[in-house]
Amino acid sequence: MTIEILFGETANLFGDMQNMEYLKKTLPDAAFVETALPDKPYFVDNTPDMLYMGAMTEHTQRRVIEALAPYRERLASLIDGGTLMLFTGNAGETLFRHISYVTEKIETDGLDLVPLTAKTDLFDRYNGKALGHLPGAAEAQAVGPVTGFRSQFSRWYGENADNAFLRMDRGMGLNEDSTLEGWRDRNLICTAVIGPILPLNPKLTEYLCSLMGVCVPAAFRDAAIRAWEQRVIEMEDPETRF
Amino acid sequence: MKTLRFLFAMVAAKCAALGLRLLGRNATYLPGLIAVKLAPDFIGHLKKPETLICVTGTNGKTTTSNFITSVLKSTGKRVTNNSFGSNVQAGVAAALLLNANLFGKPKNDVAVIEVDERSSLKIYPYITPDYIVINNIMRDSLKRNAHTEFISFILNSAIPKESTLILNADDIICSHLAPQCEKRIYFGMDAEKPDHTEGMAAKDIVYCPACGGRLVAEYIRYNHIGRVKCERCGYGTPDRDFTVTAIDRENGTFTVNGEDYKLVNDNIVNVFNFCGAIALLTTLGVTHAEIVKAFETAEIVKTRFVSEALGGGRSLTMILSKGQNPVAVSRVFSYVSKCEGDDKCLLVMVDDKADNTNNVENTCWLYDLDYRPLLDKGIGQIIFAGKRCYEHQLRCAMTGIPAAKTAFVPEVAGSVNAIDLDRFKDIYLLYDNYLLDDARREEKALKGRCGA
Repeated sequence: MTIEILFGETANLFGDMQNMEYLKKTLPDAAFVETALPDKPYFVDNTPDMLYMGAMTEHTQRRVIEALAPYRERLASLIDGGTLMLFTGNAGETLFRHISYVTEKIETDGLDLVPLTAKTDLFDRYNGKALGHLPGAAEAQAVGPVTGFRSQFSRWYGENADNAFLRMDRGMGLNEDSTLEGWRDRNLICTAVIGPILPLNPKLTEYLCSLMGVCVPAAFRDAAIRAWEQRVIEMEDPETRF
Repeated sequence: MKTLRFLFAMVAAKCAALGLRLLGRNATYLPGLIAVKLAPDFIGHLKKPETLICVTGTNGKTTTSNFITSVLKSTGKRVTNNSFGSNVQAGVAAALLLNANLFGKPKNDVAVIEVDERSSLKIYPYITPDYIVINNIMRDSLKRNAHTEFISFILNSAIPKESTLILNADDIICSHLAPQCEKRIYFGMDAEKPDHTEGMAAKDIVYCPACGGRLVAEYIRYNHIGRVKCERCGYGTPDRDFTVTAIDRENGTFTVNGEDYKLVNDNIVNVFNFCGAIALLTTLGVTHAEIVKAFETAEIVKTRFVSEALGGGRSLTMILSKGQNPVAVSRVFSYVSKCEGDDKCLLVMVDDKADNTNNVENTCWLYDLDYRPLLDKGIGQIIFAGKRCYEHQLRCAMTGIPAAKTAFVPEVAGSVNAIDLDRFKDIYLLYDNYLLDDARREEKALKGRCGA
């Protein structure tokens, strides 16, 4: 099994790389390929079992779009083929149709693999929490509540009623007017939930592993479940501010 | 020309300050808030003191500005500062208005003002500091500061081009800030040069902002602090004007540009802070002898660092460890791991108190926090206290810290009872700044247990 980490040295703003460290402990036999920004991605000539990219600065985001543009068709075929891809924070925006950087007055076309757009305003930061569940009943049952945190300059726009990653129980969806979070197309997952979504949600980690055909317990399961349960209790508490 | 609005704001703010003082309360924020609410350009109407110094950056602002203030005072200057107040717009306004008469004329010759980076856009448009000391630009609270490029964007937009910058050369982000400023003085450190070119924690800059080439390190101390150069265009660490060339821990001194100073605190981040202060003070014309004299009585504020013997061969060291700030806490972990001793015990309370009251703390920062120093064999017990202790438990497990030497206590109150005093002599209590009262309570309880 091979997992490719795209641009991890620079797409790692909010503890994102611990997703991969957690996966390394969960899948000790998996090979992890770390691709640097100037390098040709591993997925171009190979078919990894999973692609991961974490949150990045707005400047880096534009460089990433440039770096991936030559491989757009390859990425499209991997999505069609069901390769698991997890993009956290603003990483998924690189796949969008378009990003407007309001503060910098820059308009950038994304890779147009996801029919959403993003608007980024450096003077309008959203900080919040996320409590949601996967849309399918069986998946929601298996994974339980997905918890996480949001901290972003961007808002996402478009229609994701049939493609949401999470139905939010509490917290914002694509934007303040939405309760449907992120994008899911087969095994492509783009979520604005930032940082360590896998160690924060050990059952989600197990679910993603199952999508790669591996049924294993998440690493340090007892400790991870205890921290997750504590978070779920607090986030479900109506007194908790969101 | 003073506007009526300014005069009204000044009178209202002065009255508020008087009222607060009569009530025995600090007037370090509210009067400033009233002033800027009534007149957003309030600061701009105040006459600038003869010398206006601002200190900003992610970590070390308070230590640096306090030290600069105490040295200048010791040379006979009358100095205003906001060390007991807030470093956002209202706090800065409060400090400056308390230093001014009703018409905005300053009472003191010098103002040393600590400025929150994010507040720069609300402060620098109205005042032009003569000097701005910038210690570093590091990963900080992600909710407040987002990322270092955002903070750089703010500072680059706000800093007036007329100011002289005193910059940490060894921080490649900091040293290239505000290119509009031509007058630049660089400080940094050659002493204890590391032999590694990769830090253990995440770096906030990997590629050259000028050409996109890879920044190649001569060495990295931590995160992105070190000496780097772009492999393509030569962009890199600038030459320094003030350099720490030696740290003599045995004799308690450090050397800058060939001259020795008392080592007030041997944490490397504080040596950087003091070097920045020395660079500024020397530039202002303060003599080496005057700075040395001030160093003799200088100490880190006791709410930030205090170390004492407890009797029975035990010691207690209390260190402020700012929660939500992964670099600051990582540096404290690293510092404690390097302290001498084979039987160290850490009690860590770094939860965000406000964020854990009818809220859930954003714990992403714990996944940027470098726990690896806690693997140090000299550390025999680590206790994480607070609501987020189970998250620490997971992080400790992920780091490979033996479960046998860890304990996780959901309540801060009474957590000191988890310390195994029979086995561990050197106790370190690390606390977030909003848990200072809790830390003091635990300190008292520990002293009670030790019979001190």
